[in-house]
Amino acid sequence: MVLDFEFKKQVMDHHISSDLIKYCYQCSRCTDNCPVSAVSIDFYTTSGYNPRANILNALLGYKDAIFSADPLAIWGCTVCDTCDEVCPQNIELTEIFTFLKNKSAEQGKAPEFIYGQAKAIFDNAKAIPSQSAIERRRQQLGLPEILNPDVNLVQSLMKNIGADKKLK
Amino acid sequence: MTEYKMFEGCTIGNRIPFIEAASRKVFEKIGVITSEAPFTCCPDPTGMKSFDNDVWLALGALNLCMAEAEGKPIISLCNGCTNTLRGVQHQLKHDSHLKERVNKQLGKIGKEYKGSIEVRHFVDVIKDNLDKIQGAITKQLSGLKVACHPGCHYMRPAEWMEADDPFRPENLKKIVAATGATVVDYDELSLCCGSAVSNAYEEHGDQVLKKKLDSIVKAGADVICVNCPACFQQFDTKQRDLSKKFNENYDIPILYITELIALGMGISPGDIGLNFHRTRLKTVLDKLGL
Repeated sequence: MVLDFEFKKQVMDHHISSDLIKYCYQCSRCTDNCPVSAVSIDFYTTSGYNPRANILNALLGYKDAIFSADPLAIWGCTVCDTCDEVCPQNIELTEIFTFLKNKSAEQGKAPEFIYGQAKAIFDNAKAIPSQSAIERRRQQLGLPEILNPDVNLVQSLMKNIGADKKLK
Repeated sequence: MTEYKMFEGCTIGNRIPFIEAASRKVFEKIGVITSEAPFTCCPDPTGMKSFDNDVWLALGALNLCMAEAEGKPIISLCNGCTNTLRGVQHQLKHDSHLKERVNKQLGKIGKEYKGSIEVRHFVDVIKDNLDKIQGAITKQLSGLKVACHPGCHYMRPAEWMEADDPFRPENLKKIVAATGATVVDYDELSLCCGSAVSNAYEEHGDQVLKKKLDSIVKAGADVICVNCPACFQQFDTKQRDLSKKFNENYDIPILYITELIALGMGISPGDIGLNFHRTRLKTVLDKLGL
């Protein structure tokens, strides 16, 4: 297994205005309180979703341990922000996991849902586009029409950032 | 009187608009004024943010720019949208380098983010108007046992949601109590509904949801009260499949907090489209004599 120092630097840089992640002492409070770890970790094989291991691997620059493993290693996160709140070192774990997920998505390894939603937003400016049946229901319920968002603005932003290239 | 820009969000606006109907009726009764804007997807703090954080920041800032252009605060009907909009604001406020980067992108489409408006979750606005809610309740919902589920993104990260305790939330309970209903406590109050992980790993999402529902059933609740469309859909659409999968009989009705309040205000179930719920509300309506 190779340590990737460039990857390690990116992890450090991603943590908003701090380098708290390097003070992680692996107490495992994140994993102990993670709702997905609770239902997915097999104690004897150590498979399953494990935020503590993700932080360790990211901090050390063990790129392969994160990106070459079962995608569950990253995408098992349900983004409940519980780990952020219980971490005794105030590490913003979810932000680190966001960075790891972004990298994984770039490599084409994210779950289909992620690409599907990003494409829907690119095409319609909404994750869930309007449909005529729902528009009729809105009328029946006496709701105002939803003002159409400017799809061009969204597409320009995504193209300028280069995110359109990550779409499938 | 403050006029808010209504941020109904993709899920409520384009999939389950009956929740918007109940919310608007409640707002009207307590004098919360709203108007529309051509907002894009917030975008989703569990989906788009995981796909590309820079797009999440830029699109979130674009939406904030639209409200800034009118100098009006945003009222959001959804935990996810509130979390994104407040999160983007928080990050850009505390990281000038990041703000510069986002504004460079926005500049290319003729926009500039300043950080001049407030983003409010509708639960917080309702909580500030609790006396008006109480005053508008014409039918006390006494006897109805309600399990509250405020949802992860209403209270976490506490650093930027600034709404409630991240593990012992009280606001939703206070609002439910104001309708005359009885709040029942349960062990897994702060547990996630499992919605986000279900999109990729349904088996794990189902197990999280099962744990949540088992705890609510054990507490003897008649109905689950929520304030997030993602949680609403997770509870409302999955109970039948979950029952089959685990050989259980989950059949607990779900109400959005504004639907519950609307019933207390004497608004008829038909007027707010309660018939569009998947889980049957008959037990609740019978109990209330509606």
